[in-house]
Amino acid sequence: SGDLYCSLLNPRNVRFESVNMRNVLHWSAPEGTGNGVLYKVKYSVYGVGKWIRKPECRNINITWCDLSSETSDYEEQYYASVKAFLNGMFSDWVETTRFNPLTETKIDPPIVSVSSTDKSISITLTAPEKWKRSPEEESISLLQVYPGLQYNVSVLNKKTKKRWFFSISNHTLVVPWLEPGTAYCVSAQIHVPAPLLDSGFSKEHCIATLKDK
Amino acid sequence: EDASLPAPQNISILSTNMKHFLTWTPVMVQGETVRYSVEFQGEYERVYGGESWIPISECSPIAATVCNITEDISATVAYRLRVRAQLGARTSPWATLKGFFNRITTSLTPPVMKVIADGYHLLVELEDMGPAFQFRVLYWKKGQERRVQQKVLKEVSSVLHLDTMEAGADYCVKAQTYVEAINRSSSFSQTQCVRAQGGTPMWL
Amino acid sequence: TTGNKIFHFGACRVSMSMAEIRAGFTAIKANIQARDPIRTLSILSYPHSLHKVKSSDRCCITHHLLNFYVGKVFKHCKTEDLYVNRKISSIANSFLSMKRKLGQCHEQNRCRCGQESTEKLKQILANYEGLNVTSAAMKSLGELDILLDWME
Repeated sequence: SGDLYCSLLNPRNVRFESVNMRNVLHWSAPEGTGNGVLYKVKYSVYGVGKWIRKPECRNINITWCDLSSETSDYEEQYYASVKAFLNGMFSDWVETTRFNPLTETKIDPPIVSVSSTDKSISITLTAPEKWKRSPEEESISLLQVYPGLQYNVSVLNKKTKKRWFFSISNHTLVVPWLEPGTAYCVSAQIHVPAPLLDSGFSKEHCIATLKDK
Repeated sequence: EDASLPAPQNISILSTNMKHFLTWTPVMVQGETVRYSVEFQGEYERVYGGESWIPISECSPIAATVCNITEDISATVAYRLRVRAQLGARTSPWATLKGFFNRITTSLTPPVMKVIADGYHLLVELEDMGPAFQFRVLYWKKGQERRVQQKVLKEVSSVLHLDTMEAGADYCVKAQTYVEAINRSSSFSQTQCVRAQGGTPMWL
Repeated sequence: TTGNKIFHFGACRVSMSMAEIRAGFTAIKANIQARDPIRTLSILSYPHSLHKVKSSDRCCITHHLLNFYVGKVFKHCKTEDLYVNRKISSIANSFLSMKRKLGQCHEQNRCRCGQESTEKLKQILANYEGLNVTSAAMKSLGELDILLDWME
């Protein structure tokens, strides 16, 4: 791109990586460049006129930049762009594709807590929170972002090795009439029907029903 | 364009459970492999798109006399379909399906279902039929046919928990599929009954 | 998951297969949006996002936007890529099917347009007419997820 003498190869694979709407711009260094390359970043709201520089990501030598704060309105869509510098040479601005936080974020599994009696287990599920600027800021559950959010719950009887699935909309589930003194392992997944988004399954939480009195 | 090749005959659609196939009888040319190309036209193309036709690349060309058109028949409107034969530079006239095809006419079969009693728990295993399908599952305690309960299941890739059962009681289950995109249901599956684990239930 | 959406406009109930449209659009989104170099203008979101529209105006806006896409947008979106064209056909025919279903609500007078929605629709048409027809159509198609997000 242009005369090699005064231009640097472009950063590669410029894209947003988003989890629970923590939206981080990532890229790879220009091919063949080692350390010492610096970068600067800008972003824009789709449909709005201007590019905005991100001061905290000016002359940085790392290959990511957290733009969560700048892209927190998930009713908007965004572009971001990166430029590389090395020894007076610089690359072109390289843009992301249009980023839609609402449909492109990845969702973490729900937080699972389990308690038991002698014949039942109670499962409580908590959807992850949307990224927030600081701990003091008000928490927004992804349940508020995706009102149609549901849970798929898997319950494994460790003795019989049989696994059952439940599909529930509210965040608690009681499974009664189980075998006393038996270990059950629970894991859960978030399912959003529209726009279609699924989390992975959480790690298993195992608990034993109490021995028969 | 040398159109001496005869057009395919007996164009028809086979459509079951929202899977749609176009079939035709082969054009026979001694010692040669005749190939075919398939095109579709939705109602949009007819009304707003200048009656344009769109090739189905997976079937243009193919040697087989059947084409899976499911991916392109993805709206509940009237479609037209056509196929022609080709042999080298020679092509036949287009043969067009008589009338239209609307996926609303697909035939829906009852779901394959397996009912399981695991202790006091009533479970059901249903065959995954694709994202367009929901399952309406009815279940009742034998002898209480008036108190039928219903669950609508969408995610069916495993053993699904329906309900808990009273000790020693018999429970019966039947299910039908429902396709919201065409607002139609299949007939019900055979009823299957299972018995809950015996023994004095905790609450008695 | 069927991802179908039941819209209730007063007593009018319309089922729309959003999942199929969403899947069709997702398959070609990068291709279509790459054909729209204009970052500084949006057809649907300028100056205000669709999300700012009152819920009482939802039926009217939905009805007119379906007409807008079916009547104006899709026909100018033909590409050199057969796969993209097939997906556009799939979306266009789904929109036509939805347009017809929603038309029944409109005929039953349950889809009245308030002042705000009339202004919003005028703005959308002005944004559209502000560009040459192919750029406007391709930009509108690239903004389909803005419409789908709002509808869902």
